[in-house]
Amino acid sequence: MFRLTITKALNGAKVSPKPIFIAARLQSGEVKKPEKIEVFIDDQPVLVEPGTTVLQAAALIGVEIPRFCYHERLAVAGNCRMCLVEVEKSPKPVAACAMPVMKGWRIKTNSEMTKKAREGIMEFLLVNHPLDCPICDQGGECDLQDQSMAFGSDRSRFTDIDFSGKRAVEDKDIGPLVKTIMTRCIHCTRCIRFASEIAGVDDLGTTGRGNDMQVGTYVEKLFMSELSGNVIDLCPVGALTSKPYSFTARPWEIRKIDSIDVLDAVGSNIIVSTRTGEVMRIVPRVNEEINEEWLADKSRFSYDGLKRQRLVTPMIRDNTGELKPVDWEIALLTVAKVIKNAGSNIGAIAGGFADAEALIALKDLLNRLGSEALCTEHTFPLDGSGTDLRSNYLLNNKIANAEEADLVLLVGTNPRFEAPLLNSRLRKAWVHNELEVASIGPKVDLRYSYEHLGDNPNLLQQIAGGQHAFSKKLKAAKKPLVIVGAESLERPDGAAILSAAQSIAAQASSSKDWKVLNVLHKVASQVAALDIGYAPGVDKIREINPKVLFLLGADENAVEKSDLPKDCFVIYQGHHGDRGAAMADAVLPGAAYTEKQATYVNTEGRAQETLPAVTPPGRAREDWKIIRALSEILGAKLPYDNLNDIRDRLDEVAPHLTRYGSAEDANFFRQAQELAKKAKVQLDSTPLDVKIKELQDYFMTDSISRASPTMAKCVQAALKHRQSKYSD
Amino acid sequence: MAAMMSSKLLILGNVAKNPLTLKWAAASLSTSSVRHTEPEIKNDIALLNPEEIEHKKKLQNYITIEGTTDISPITGVPEEHVKERRVRIYEPPKNCMQSGTNNIGHWEMDFDNRERWENPLMGWTSTGDPLSNMKVRFTSKEDAIEFCEKNGWKWYVQESKLEKKFKPKSYGINFAWNKRTRTSTK
Repeated sequence: MFRLTITKALNGAKVSPKPIFIAARLQSGEVKKPEKIEVFIDDQPVLVEPGTTVLQAAALIGVEIPRFCYHERLAVAGNCRMCLVEVEKSPKPVAACAMPVMKGWRIKTNSEMTKKAREGIMEFLLVNHPLDCPICDQGGECDLQDQSMAFGSDRSRFTDIDFSGKRAVEDKDIGPLVKTIMTRCIHCTRCIRFASEIAGVDDLGTTGRGNDMQVGTYVEKLFMSELSGNVIDLCPVGALTSKPYSFTARPWEIRKIDSIDVLDAVGSNIIVSTRTGEVMRIVPRVNEEINEEWLADKSRFSYDGLKRQRLVTPMIRDNTGELKPVDWEIALLTVAKVIKNAGSNIGAIAGGFADAEALIALKDLLNRLGSEALCTEHTFPLDGSGTDLRSNYLLNNKIANAEEADLVLLVGTNPRFEAPLLNSRLRKAWVHNELEVASIGPKVDLRYSYEHLGDNPNLLQQIAGGQHAFSKKLKAAKKPLVIVGAESLERPDGAAILSAAQSIAAQASSSKDWKVLNVLHKVASQVAALDIGYAPGVDKIREINPKVLFLLGADENAVEKSDLPKDCFVIYQGHHGDRGAAMADAVLPGAAYTEKQATYVNTEGRAQETLPAVTPPGRAREDWKIIRALSEILGAKLPYDNLNDIRDRLDEVAPHLTRYGSAEDANFFRQAQELAKKAKVQLDSTPLDVKIKELQDYFMTDSISRASPTMAKCVQAALKHRQSKYSD
Repeated sequence: MAAMMSSKLLILGNVAKNPLTLKWAAASLSTSSVRHTEPEIKNDIALLNPEEIEHKKKLQNYITIEGTTDISPITGVPEEHVKERRVRIYEPPKNCMQSGTNNIGHWEMDFDNRERWENPLMGWTSTGDPLSNMKVRFTSKEDAIEFCEKNGWKWYVQESKLEKKFKPKSYGINFAWNKRTRTSTK
């Protein structure tokens, strides 16, 4: 029987060889985890890792310590002193955000001393803070307001105001997005830390000391970052507020709708704030797997484009060649007549904002009419396994995991502007994880240092063959990533580039669940369209000479009027009067992403849905409903009447499309690589290039942002900054 | 009648003042009714056969019914607001604008958003949707699901990943001499 006591068996290890074995493995193998230490927060015991700060330890058991300068995604600054707490036997209060806990500490977050310290700090902060809350845009969602109510004194001792007045600071001009009212600044330095750590733009800083300290850019210059809007959220007071949103709404009168951003392929989670049927602003929503709590400027500020250049009524081109507004009945009947006459000779192109519901409805309709010519606007190589294997066209390793990478090879991509939030992850890894980045493509500014290998695609072959110096690094790396830009795959030799990237990825040694090959898309609809079975690229359309061409939000002029036969009838369905509508013979107004409940799949292959925040303007309707109505007139009725039905159809085609929030892993990398070898395309030596190289190119890239006045101002500001002597 | 009532109340008042007499008073104020009739003879039991008695016994216990309860027929909610609504069950994330966390850490439900329009008289926003302001908090998602099932609403759960991997923060890395975490700006 069991003769040893349990404690003896665990400690002694005299009889059984098992514990010895464990001990031996611990010494040689993995790093031994340091012992947790126990501290007491308000007499509640908590076990934490050594090095944990007091504030973090308190957060673990749900005790919140007030703070202004501390932010969990930024470095510790410890300058606001709001987080002072009492530690037993310590003569002075301790700054909880910067102080690591010691064994057995008894921390009192609600004691007399703590309260007094907070009240004192609050009083100091309010000495120089203006009392303009009634006209402040931050009012209602202001940390200073809340905390002065909770921890501040109920009366003022500040009588000096009658003699010297409050401190006043000149406002800075840092661009068309961020409004500064510097008198309100409490010098928490969150914006400075964000700019230098996350955005990588070391423009903000402090000048002066004590009462004369000022936060600013020192010389007047633009805050040249694609993530600049985030400092508005970070600012705990109203010193940095949104310029386009200023004085338009108050936080308590707006309605917040959780949605998804579609202006890039990242699929950031957003909150759309609306009032009186109008989108007032867009702010990020926390999702640790995608955007953390940041949002790129284009996604945040181009919402005013949703109110301009909108298609609000169906239109038909008349004899004089002008688009004339008609009602839905006439529009649908006309379109149906033309489609009926065309028979199966009809093609369709899906643009970057098309949602999965509209995509499936259009595909079902055209298939019923006997056509297979459904394309996406953006090309992807079809040689080898093409789009048959999902792993070929996804960011397989997921956005969040980019943080853990130790070596990244960028191929023909500029992640800073194609996916700013992926770039911020890479930058995070570069800062905290000593990430090494190399790039093949044009020399662009990524806001972190990287090795520029050149822009010749043949370098890929050299690396794959092991002749290049970089191959050694790749083999040594534990968690390498190869990120291929979708733009480089649109080249004629895209198949060869993908194939080379695949063989590079196959060589890199990595663990089983680490996926080296990643493709970064530029538009929100691409992955869903490929999943549903659209053919990438518009070559098919050019081949079949269609009688009718259906553009589902295709605005990039992939096919122009000159590519089509003279009698081809072009139908445009979308939300903006942009390039697509200009060449159309019939226009069917659809809904933008803030106006419909629709599915989008991001570049990782993660399905997410938008929720309707406002109703579509005028006579515009949800996209899949338009196609469903058209199908009935055509006599090819689609078998879905409501959202649940069409979601069931999506589920039938590809089940992951309705598994919202989760990204299904794609596989068959080896098979894809083998199949890619059969592709006959050779790498040509045209240098790899990207369209968006600098900040001014970033702001206006699609029909929504092209219609946005704010984005136009940003382009102007960026261009003006280039002329200025302070640009770098 | 009224006089009698008042006199009784008077007596009661005196009793209340004197705690010693309380026990006695309570006993005299017994409200139990006088038995007027003879005890009932339960004839039916005597007359029943054993199977019928068995059946009767069974009926006295609780009956368990499989499946969920649906109270929608009796809540008075119009049918169009039961059958045609989709309920979203979700965990609200922290507001990015603020650092407070007291208003999160629970589950909420809301309905699909319907059309609003501007009221021509005052410019206020109008809606025809009586459920547009119904946001209900729950401690867990299971509670929310049960509530929706009970009310007959179609629901779906929107899961979002809010937990962050724990990493101890350090003030010292700002001054590391060989790391990229060293801060240049202040």
